[in-house]
Amino acid sequence: MSTVALFAQLKLRLLVGNLRGDLQRKLGFTLTLILSVFVSVIGFLLMSLLRLAPHDVAASIVVVVFSLMLIGWMIVPLLAFGLDDTLDPARLSLFPLPTHRLAVGMFTASATGVWPLATLIVTTGALVGLATGVGGVLLGIIAVLLQFALCLVTSRLVTTALSSALRTRRGRDVLAVAAIFVVLLAQLPNLVLNGNLGDPAEMLRGASAILRWTPSGMAAHAMADGGLTGLAELVAVALVVVVAGWLWIKALSRALVTPDASTRAASVRRESGLIDRFLPDGPLAAVVTKELKYIRREPRSRVGWFSSLVVAVVLGFSVTRSLETGAWLPILLTASAGMMIALQSANSFGIDGRSLWMNAVATGSERGLSTDLAGRHLAGAVIATPLLILIATVAGLLAGHPEGIAPAVLTGLGALGIGFGVGSVTSVVIPYTVPDRMNAFTGAAPGQGGQAFVSGMGALLGVSALSLPFVVPLLFGLFWVSVLAPFYGLLAEFLGRRLGAKIGFARFPELLAAVSQAT
Amino acid sequence: MTEAVHTHGLFKRYGPQIAVAGIDLVVPAGSFAGLVGPNGAGKTTSLSMITGLLRPDGGQAEIDGFDVWRDPVAVKARIGVLPEGLRLFERLSGRELLLYNGRLRGISKADVEQRAEELLQVMDLAEAADKLVVDYSTGMRKKIGLAAALLHNPSVLFLDEPFEGVDPVSANTLTEVLRRFTASGSTVIFSSHVMDLVERLCDWVSVMSAGHIVAQGPLELVREGRSLNQAFLDLVGGPRDNGDSGLTWLGRGKEPA
Repeated sequence: MSTVALFAQLKLRLLVGNLRGDLQRKLGFTLTLILSVFVSVIGFLLMSLLRLAPHDVAASIVVVVFSLMLIGWMIVPLLAFGLDDTLDPARLSLFPLPTHRLAVGMFTASATGVWPLATLIVTTGALVGLATGVGGVLLGIIAVLLQFALCLVTSRLVTTALSSALRTRRGRDVLAVAAIFVVLLAQLPNLVLNGNLGDPAEMLRGASAILRWTPSGMAAHAMADGGLTGLAELVAVALVVVVAGWLWIKALSRALVTPDASTRAASVRRESGLIDRFLPDGPLAAVVTKELKYIRREPRSRVGWFSSLVVAVVLGFSVTRSLETGAWLPILLTASAGMMIALQSANSFGIDGRSLWMNAVATGSERGLSTDLAGRHLAGAVIATPLLILIATVAGLLAGHPEGIAPAVLTGLGALGIGFGVGSVTSVVIPYTVPDRMNAFTGAAPGQGGQAFVSGMGALLGVSALSLPFVVPLLFGLFWVSVLAPFYGLLAEFLGRRLGAKIGFARFPELLAAVSQAT
Repeated sequence: MTEAVHTHGLFKRYGPQIAVAGIDLVVPAGSFAGLVGPNGAGKTTSLSMITGLLRPDGGQAEIDGFDVWRDPVAVKARIGVLPEGLRLFERLSGRELLLYNGRLRGISKADVEQRAEELLQVMDLAEAADKLVVDYSTGMRKKIGLAAALLHNPSVLFLDEPFEGVDPVSANTLTEVLRRFTASGSTVIFSSHVMDLVERLCDWVSVMSAGHIVAQGPLELVREGRSLNQAFLDLVGGPRDNGDSGLTWLGRGKEPA
């Protein structure tokens, strides 16, 4: 019991310590807090309102919700937002803790937090909504706790297992592919819903008939059942939790002693100097050269690029399945691809992170920072342009509207420019650290999840707002306006970059501090 | 005597904690200066503020007579920096890092290539020049960092703990390069805990403790005939007694708790 109290306290201290003295972090945390309170309250209400629905429908819904919750716990901590500030087990490896105490402690630390609490509240809502009779309530309470434990343990198991696999540099390069699967999975419900599989009630029954046999589904079913079958199911779930926990501890102790053997590195090729043939010698050429190398060599950049493209492709598929095709299709696809690629620059300095000081001591003026941003955008455009042409061509041909290809490329370039312009401003106004250890797939340093979210949403809103002058005429079929799009994009990039450089240079030290957080 | 660095009441606080309490740091041009002090004395914070990486809460800093915060172009062209923590652009090779750094400062590519080649030779990094910095050892990182800081021939060089975690061979290379650099009239300021090293290399010492400068001047004056280590302990307050009062449980013959 003392272990539980100790680790819970430790985790709370870490959370509080993370917030100390930094307004942006406090705001980010407040945002997370508001979001989680919202989710808990709405979730609890909706779940408890299930009591009004017919019992079998309610049971099916809870089965599906519990399963989704489990899947969410497996995927979301991997995905983004730094939801999980749990202790790093490596820091505890030197303490004389027996394995079971370490396990209890780590579990407590995982359970202490905003999101675990929200999960527990929503799960309890199901108890209110579903359980009947004394047996139902008793079993229900156990089921809620088991479901909660299952979510946490599975989540930790997944991250730990992947972290040991991805600790090597080679492993982190494989991560590029893994992250794309995660993005694909996240798009799956969207695809299924657009697939017109039949009426919702039928779908719900079908889904719950299958999901009922997953651990989460059994917990939900036990809650609805309340009898001996339910008890047997709970025993099974408890077994699953214990086994998952055991596997987690195994993975943990392996991860702690497996060395990183990735430093036996080969040399890189000398540069060919291709950039220098097109650009005048100077800072701009230096930045473009460096950025192109970073896009190629830095796993975080690769992940960004691959996922932007995958999102664009997935979007394309889901749109074509639900609507009539037309010449607008390649335009929409290419424009969104351009936007997704450009949105990566919403936090341009994040990947430089703590090495940004090197730019800071060399950059003496606004102009210097503006050149830096221009170099980054140019490098991005060098890779993005052929990709956009490819996407436009493929989409145009597949949709049977080759006349849409040219406007698509032009709009795509426009979207790219607008994205770069907006990104220049968000990069300096809401900068955040991108952790260099991608083993938990988090998108931001602990405590900076809110900033990452605001930055992403802000960039998205900014791009959408600035795109309106083109979106509206395109919607009415006036495709000729796309001729103007690249120029509009260029203007947006230019103005955004000037503004970004002006703001950014004035707050360079703050920018430096924001992207240099410990991760 | 012209001054390479002069600060007036430089001040920084983190919440209630005062990290640097209004210091007047002076370093004469052409000197090899050591900034010494216990952990948490404010050395890194001071160096960060003087090099324009951290915004001070008060006071001014001047380098070669130019205000760091009002005239950044002139100052940044004159200084070379090796901060603590050694974060470099990890995904570039050593050579690429030098090329990037030099060209970012507007030196022509041909010039940078020549300088980089010579620096890599002197730093004994020629073999590792085309490996990624992410795979460098601590000593190699310090050396490539110093090479990057020297590339544009600064007049004042700031080094935060340049010898920490560096093997003796690399340390020797570093000191050789720095000696040659100051012999030509340029200034080096470095922070360190290693008193022997400071005593051997420096002709000017500033001692910091708890955010204040407690002594500053030519090495001989600060030492006053003592070893620098003793002078340092006297200044910042070493152990009053020999630890007799506590720690009775420490040592052989006692049960581990």
